[in-house]
Amino acid sequence: MIRIENVKKDYVDGDTVVHALRGVTLEVSDGEFMSIAGPSGSGKSTLLNIIGCIDEADSGSVEVDGVSADGKSTRELAGLRREKLGFVFQSFNLIPVLTAYENVSFSLSLLGVPEAEIRERTMTLLDEVGLSGMEERRPAKLSGGQQQRVAIARALVKNPSIVLADEPTANLDSHTGESILELMEAMNRKHGTTFVFSTHDRMVMDFAHRLTSLHDGLITADERRTA
Amino acid sequence: MKFLLGLAWKNLSRYRRRTIITALAIAVGLAVYIFMDSLLVGMERESERNLIWYETGSAKVMNSDYWPDRDTLPLDEVIENPAPVLARLTSMGVEATPRTVFKGEVIVFRDPYPEDGSLPARLYAVDPATDGSVFRISESVSQGRYLKPGENGVLLGSGIADTLGAQVGYPLVIETRSREGYKQTMDMEVVGIMDSPNPVVNRTGVFLPLDTANLYLQMKGAVTEIDLHFPEVVGAPARAAEVQAALAPQFPDLMVADWKALAADYVALAETKSSASGIILFLVFVIAAVGVSNTMLMAVYERFRELGMMRAMGMKDRSIRRLFLMEAAGIGLIGSLVGVALGVALAAYMVNVGIDIRSLIGNMDVGYRTAGIMRGAWHPEAIVRAFLVGIVLAVAVAFVPTRRALGMSIPDALRHQ
Repeated sequence: MIRIENVKKDYVDGDTVVHALRGVTLEVSDGEFMSIAGPSGSGKSTLLNIIGCIDEADSGSVEVDGVSADGKSTRELAGLRREKLGFVFQSFNLIPVLTAYENVSFSLSLLGVPEAEIRERTMTLLDEVGLSGMEERRPAKLSGGQQQRVAIARALVKNPSIVLADEPTANLDSHTGESILELMEAMNRKHGTTFVFSTHDRMVMDFAHRLTSLHDGLITADERRTA
Repeated sequence: MKFLLGLAWKNLSRYRRRTIITALAIAVGLAVYIFMDSLLVGMERESERNLIWYETGSAKVMNSDYWPDRDTLPLDEVIENPAPVLARLTSMGVEATPRTVFKGEVIVFRDPYPEDGSLPARLYAVDPATDGSVFRISESVSQGRYLKPGENGVLLGSGIADTLGAQVGYPLVIETRSREGYKQTMDMEVVGIMDSPNPVVNRTGVFLPLDTANLYLQMKGAVTEIDLHFPEVVGAPARAAEVQAALAPQFPDLMVADWKALAADYVALAETKSSASGIILFLVFVIAAVGVSNTMLMAVYERFRELGMMRAMGMKDRSIRRLFLMEAAGIGLIGSLVGVALGVALAAYMVNVGIDIRSLIGNMDVGYRTAGIMRGAWHPEAIVRAFLVGIVLAVAVAFVPTRRALGMSIPDALRHQ
């Protein structure tokens, strides 16, 4: 469960103050597959960053999986992210020197999971995202879609409560983007993991089971659909 | 930790060219350091040895009143009766030889010399029988022969012989004053020319037999100094103090000065040169540090996004710092290994072969008592220091960019292009 209450966030750019979020209140239940949509500058990335505890709200309260992020130290927030959150980035952000296997197992290494368990869970996830046999390939030897699959496996391998994806298909062609969305949806169904992704792509919005629209830092629509 | 080590190693391989260039900067710095240090230590040790063997001995016994006036070479503040002092020293197992050092003018005339001339000189009256137990003058004769007791012969340093145009068999006149202050003229013959590894002695040394000088200077058996030889160079000051304490009851007017006190000018010069060399070496390290710092800056700045991702995934700042410092240490380790290997190879050449600088400086005074071949010396402490400094330096300069990267907010790091 994600609970955001009256969250505000301003950025100062020189002499200009940008009101990125002007008081957003939002609740996301466990297992939801939702999209935060809006044009550039609407505040969707800021909201995603605040949910992901990689940015702090100026005011309001944030609760992730029953844990309040308010007033937490940098170290405590890192722990929260490590244990409860998975991230998928627009530009994949894989570590270029590591193989697909190593990129995925990296998440588990951070948690201090025993070697044998790391191997088993990593291989299972790579298989689930359709990368069986490509474990030893480095990112440079994988297509964009394959790289994003590695990123999804990396986010899911630690069994997080929530996966946050910032424009996960923006760097992919529409066909590959669709297959990535299908994969995320399948993972959502299989693992019951909450997926929250930001987008301004109509196809992605159509895929979501819940579509929350942001405009100028305020929620303008919140629509639930039947999966 | 194993994961971080593996990742650090992979990152070093990923930026192979940069790793090699940076490690090379460290390696060159360290190699220069080891080479220079070997050379300086070698020259210092050789200078000390040549000072002791050709100029000062390990220590000198002299009249206490002689010490403050020693630069004027007085003949009235002397050891009146050296025999019992020599006997006491022998009983202590200390090798000793008497000398009288005095000033005078060496005068030469045209035919056989190229032209008339004179030179003020410091003259050393030595006991040919025992001088070799303390000094190595007799072993350095390059032309003619060494001195014989009672003869009117002189042994010239190669430098002064060149200046005068002297050859073996040539006559020369020494003009000086006796102990009583009377003018004395000594008609002498050049019996030998010596060429030692000590350029100062080559340039200024004029040696003659002690008994001949005793007669001309009316010393009545007195000498200005008794020179001592100790087997150990390092322990000379302590040994000199022991000898002084042993002589004091019987000879209260005498004092013992060790070679460091006698060659205070050289010691001061060597220390100054050592400081100057230290500054040069410091600059070498600064250059290496700038190179490494630049690389580490680039390594961190290029990977802001990667760092942002790692932090977003919950990697501790401490672990990220450790990762970068491990990478820096890896570069330092490679640089140190190569630098030490290069430095040791250069030092080995200097220790075993050396560089012949005779044609460059001749008998010119460069402060150090070395002539001919500049040789290095092994200095393991400096090699170990260089190895460690290479690693510490690389790690130290990686701190700033790593701190900068960790100071950036995660969203900013993720947006970084």
